[in-house]
Amino acid sequence: MAHEDYFDWTERLFDPAGAFSKPEALKGVRVLELCTRVFGPVTADLLADMGAEVIKIELPGVGDLMRYVAPRGFFWQNISPAFTHMNHNKYHVAIDIRKPEGAELLKRLAARSDVLVENFRPGTMDRWGVGYRQLREVNPRLIYQANSGFGQWSVYRDRPSYDATSQAMSGFSATTGFPGRPPLKIGIWIGDYTGALFATLGILAALYHRNKTGEGQMIDVSQGESLIRIQDWTWLLWSLFGKERERFGNEDVAVVPSGIFRCKDGFVGIAALDDGAFAGLCEAMGDPDMAEDPRFALLDARLKDENREAVYGKMRAWAVTQTLRQVEEAGVLYGFSAQRVANARDHYEDEHLRARRAVWELEDPLYGPVVEYGPGPKLSETPGRMRWIAKPVGFHNEYVFRNLLALDPETVERLENEGVVGRWADRIGAKPPEDWDGEKGRFF
Amino acid sequence: MNTTGTMDWYAWAKQQSDPASAAEKKEALDDLLVLDASYGSFGGLVASSILSELGARVIRIEPPGGDIARRYSPFGLEHGDTGLAYLVEGRNKHHITLDLEGEEGQEIFRKLAGHADVVIETFEPGFLDELGIGYRQLREVNPRLIYAALHTYGQFGPKARQGRQASEIANQAYSGLVYINGEPADDEHSVHAVPTKTGSWYGWYAEGLFAAYGILSALIYRQQSGKGQMVDVSGAECIMKFIDYNMGWYHMGGGVKERLGNYDPSVFPYTFIRCKDGYTFMAAYNEEAFATLMEIIGRPELTRDPRFSTFMQRTSLESEEALQRILEEWSTQYTVDEVIEKVQEATSRKEGRAAAVVTGKVCRPPETFQEQNWWDRGIFRRVQDPVYGELAMQGPLWKMTGTPPRIKWACRPVGADNEAVYCRLLGLGASELEILRARGTI
Repeated sequence: MAHEDYFDWTERLFDPAGAFSKPEALKGVRVLELCTRVFGPVTADLLADMGAEVIKIELPGVGDLMRYVAPRGFFWQNISPAFTHMNHNKYHVAIDIRKPEGAELLKRLAARSDVLVENFRPGTMDRWGVGYRQLREVNPRLIYQANSGFGQWSVYRDRPSYDATSQAMSGFSATTGFPGRPPLKIGIWIGDYTGALFATLGILAALYHRNKTGEGQMIDVSQGESLIRIQDWTWLLWSLFGKERERFGNEDVAVVPSGIFRCKDGFVGIAALDDGAFAGLCEAMGDPDMAEDPRFALLDARLKDENREAVYGKMRAWAVTQTLRQVEEAGVLYGFSAQRVANARDHYEDEHLRARRAVWELEDPLYGPVVEYGPGPKLSETPGRMRWIAKPVGFHNEYVFRNLLALDPETVERLENEGVVGRWADRIGAKPPEDWDGEKGRFF
Repeated sequence: MNTTGTMDWYAWAKQQSDPASAAEKKEALDDLLVLDASYGSFGGLVASSILSELGARVIRIEPPGGDIARRYSPFGLEHGDTGLAYLVEGRNKHHITLDLEGEEGQEIFRKLAGHADVVIETFEPGFLDELGIGYRQLREVNPRLIYAALHTYGQFGPKARQGRQASEIANQAYSGLVYINGEPADDEHSVHAVPTKTGSWYGWYAEGLFAAYGILSALIYRQQSGKGQMVDVSGAECIMKFIDYNMGWYHMGGGVKERLGNYDPSVFPYTFIRCKDGYTFMAAYNEEAFATLMEIIGRPELTRDPRFSTFMQRTSLESEEALQRILEEWSTQYTVDEVIEKVQEATSRKEGRAAAVVTGKVCRPPETFQEQNWWDRGIFRRVQDPVYGELAMQGPLWKMTGTPPRIKWACRPVGADNEAVYCRLLGLGASELEILRARGTI
């Protein structure tokens, strides 16, 4: 048990109310994002959470096609929640980098940036004359992150790839779901997110190296490879024992017990990660003798097929007679892990998550009060933070063109007329709210 | 070197980032020392694996009997007395033993932390603090230290105070992932139409990867400030970041995101379809791509069917179900390879949006494992381990032109590096280690 004052101390150490009085880990790191959909934007979003200045460059008019991915066609103030949740704290500009003058603007920005993230098909940026080989000439310190389905030099490099392509081809889906049922497409874009997280890790390591040596580099990350990397024991089971990993439903076969169980009023995750916790669980189930039984007392024994099935059978029969609350309370009392299956409403109303700013309410300069998931890791000295959510296409043009590129209004107007730069099309998903007054939320 | 223009991008990128030549280059994190004191958690192990692949020296601290994580293995199968999962995430680490619950062990831990840049732990919140070796005490010894604590409920907040236990499944359950994953409930109350966990340990992998992200951010801050800090990581909260529009949609008044199995509320078709010999992914959701797909299955008239004629109409649940049936009436006549071939043949004659019919075989693990592309890319590789022999498994994944990652060995037995580490860092000789061993300290 912890010292009583430990949690008082951690609450002071991490006090979210003080976040804006502290420095940011990635302050001063400028990131150019040339991405659409999920894989690229999430990469830059994770950097923005930690204080990087992200400039999201979209095509004038329609912008990132993710703007139009909306659950059941739902938009709010002309923007989709599927787009806002992966585009925080970013500056939105619209430049057509396929045009020579647009490419020139990109080069000027790249000369003053630290990181560039792109997720075009491999070779596209190079063909346009703004790939890593060209940009490193203007900025040898640049870290160039190239995200793609299969990698920059894979034999499949030209194949289009969505998140579910990576779930399918990596084997991830084949091992999720129930025996005798179809493989399961995971309920989230897990290949995109996991790939984005790996891309972020590569970028951070490269920044650390660059800060020591001044050397930039190119990093190539594939969605499918990301999901292969995180499949724990799947590959050794096959290569060492010739056994194929199948779908085992909701019950773990490598940690016993660990799984999802039906209760009276919902579903709960229960695990006992060591023999002591298992003994506690047996007591909670009213069967302390089970923990003494040589078939179950030790993890090694519980992992055997028939013993595992007996343990899970016992747990299923017990859980269904309990409420979620009873199981969670028993977990605390008897020392095993118990957590109900939570949904968005549970998170929204959860005081713990609110206190930690894992659920973060903020007032967006354009859209007003919004609630988003806050930064993942909580850093005591340099906490991440939420400033604003995504903005219409080209919303921050003036700010970036003036401050970073020192373009005068006449030049901007000419570039707009030539379609080199621009702003939103008159289209839901791309444009500001209907009642926007032309000024609210703008930066200068 | 000026190769631009004389070599195409793909060849250049391969030449510069092929993992086969990684050993010739520098490592990004080779000036760092990491202590991984995690116990019973692959979250901590994954975090230190990532840092080690990128060059950090990692010392794994286990209790004298070894970490129970070595025992987590499917059906109890082991190789060289070690569980299969541990053989994957023991990589590149030096393994020492130390009893953190005894005073002598605590003193040694403090000394080790004096040398370290990063400490990773996964105990109950406050456990090490109570022993006098938590961040609050270690930062006095080493103000540059970055201390990462991984736990489902984190290190502060109401639920952290309740003494709730962490686990991989608790991370998944609390995050919202389980709630929206799986087949929708059916009338029969069936066993399979329930909230469903992912097959592999996403609750631990996401937590470990996010921990490494927090640690690296903190290290970058330390480069300019010289200051260490504490990093509090809840695997549950990390996965929340990845639950598509869950929070925003609810707040904005759209509703609670529910599970839909292989359907998708925002784009369709975007699903797995059954074929003669397995499944394949099939997506064609913009108008032009949908028309291409309807041509492929020989039903071009369906683009004018009021149920399917626009993007929006296709994403109602009824339309998705109907379209799924229509697609499978066609696809079950062919093998997966035949379906993919038909799609590729048709899309090769199209351009732009009309070519966006995207497919990919739902591979069973042995099929993924035998795909040559993954071997060429080094994501699968054979590691020649001095103790455990040849192991064919997943490698590091980044292809980096400057500081490529590497795998140096797979795993080490419990306490295998006691002599080397304690001698090098603390100057302890064989006779002193013998005494520590006899007392159960190491």
